Amino acid sequence: MEQSVGKIRRAFGVLRAFWAANLAEELEYRANFLASLFATMFWLGTAVLTAAVFFRQTATLGGWGFWEVVALLGVFNAVGGVVDAVLRPNVGRIVDLVRRGTLDLILSKPVDAQFHVSFRRLVVWRLSDVAFGLGLSGFALTRVDHAPGAGAIVAFLLTLGAAFAIVYALWLGLMSLAFWFVDVENLGILFDALYEAGRFPVSAYPAPIRFVLVYLLPIAWITTVPAAALTGRGGWTTALSAVFVAAASLVLTRLLWRAALRRYTSAGG
Amino acid sequence: MTDSLRTWARRYGALIRAGWMVDVQYRAAIVIWLILGVAQPAITLAVWWSVAGGGDVGGFGQADFARYFFAVMLIDQATLAWDVWYIDRWIREGELNFRLARPMNPLHEAIADNIAYKGKSVVLIALVWFLIAVFWPAVRLPFEPGRLGLAALATVLAAAIRFLTSYVNGLLAFWTTRATAIAELQWGISLFLAGRIAPLSLLPPAVASVAGVLWFPYMIAFPVEILTGTLTDTGAILRGFGWQLFWLAAWAVAYHFVWTRGRRRYGAVGG
Repeated sequence: MEQSVGKIRRAFGVLRAFWAANLAEELEYRANFLASLFATMFWLGTAVLTAAVFFRQTATLGGWGFWEVVALLGVFNAVGGVVDAVLRPNVGRIVDLVRRGTLDLILSKPVDAQFHVSFRRLVVWRLSDVAFGLGLSGFALTRVDHAPGAGAIVAFLLTLGAAFAIVYALWLGLMSLAFWFVDVENLGILFDALYEAGRFPVSAYPAPIRFVLVYLLPIAWITTVPAAALTGRGGWTTALSAVFVAAASLVLTRLLWRAALRRYTSAGG
Repeated sequence: MTDSLRTWARRYGALIRAGWMVDVQYRAAIVIWLILGVAQPAITLAVWWSVAGGGDVGGFGQADFARYFFAVMLIDQATLAWDVWYIDRWIREGELNFRLARPMNPLHEAIADNIAYKGKSVVLIALVWFLIAVFWPAVRLPFEPGRLGLAALATVLAAAIRFLTSYVNGLLAFWTTRATAIAELQWGISLFLAGRIAPLSLLPPAVASVAGVLWFPYMIAFPVEILTGTLTDTGAILRGFGWQLFWLAAWAVAYHFVWTRGRRRYGAVGG
């Protein structure tokens, strides 16, 4: 017990060192902050207008009203922000590390390689997507007639945490493919293609697609479920299922990572 | 005259072959880009399909949406323009230098690459569409050679316009480091004005009429509507071709302006 507490404390210490170094580096490029802020606002506006185009023709999308869909788009943007800030610059690099054999440098460090590969970098400006995304969700809630109670907020935080874990597992799983298909350099694009489906509540899709998004490619758990919790649509069963899906994804990812490392033949191999 | 024509045919033959070989090398990566390309229209179609489940939406039934967005996937690939990303890199990293040393404008290399790539992606999408149509009647198009010919012509013009917008946008890298960010803004606008999110007739009339005088709908929506048979009025088709020629000329002038000014500014890496 004491040993694992020490491990966790050490991990946090390493993380702080990683990100402090990154922050110092990023602060050199402050103009990027304004550009990033502008991009955040532009894409949020685009997303809301896209929903508005659909709602010109219909009163609900899959049973969700306009502002409920906007709350979902806020979640979509927040999770997308975490992807751009943490996953793409780290996990997204795995293909390159494997191809060039520079993964050797990480494997030889006294830190867990999966941890290092996953969290070494932080593109801090993209966190504006997280802040404004959650802000948009909050604003949308003031327009929905049933305001969420404390229970809904707890369920939301729980399912949002699960969403982050699932999206992490998806990225690491996708990128682990690089160990088998070394010559595919744009695997991250596959996530972008898949994540597009997260812009709408899964109930807005025809039944076969809905099935795929819930059970095969867990996109429903990333945006629909947290947004449903926030707008008081999801029950506790769904929230707990989300936690279970997240835990299962993390375990599977760890197993896949180990299997992938066993395949890795290093730079000269 | 025929001599120079033969020279150019040989040059383009070599350039297209080179572009083709590079693509073959990266075939897995290209399939992934294709998947991303069709994902957005496919998802948009899925949502419209559900919305139209309860009856027509603004004159569009489920099958109309299916045909429309299948055509969007095809025309989007046929007119795809990635040149801004390449040219931005050429300029920032000095890869433009050896291209300037060649006895030929780098524009030709870009055109040849486009022909080589689209020769594959368009055939692939058309083939997949055909196979799906065998099992799914909703996406079948009536076979009318005249209309297909017009659609092909509109698609070539659309590809030329979109190519030039992307190329000119890339050349802005002579002045700014944010050329690709400008391209992303254009893409965001094209979601609405080029007809990617919905057929233009489903947008607010004011937005649709603003779109009509810009180049966006002539890059995707116009050829799509000819191909699916939504646009049949001869006057409207002629007006559309007129706008295509206008914007093609306008972007060609913009290209000329930016290319001559930009080269004077260009100092190469370390220059």
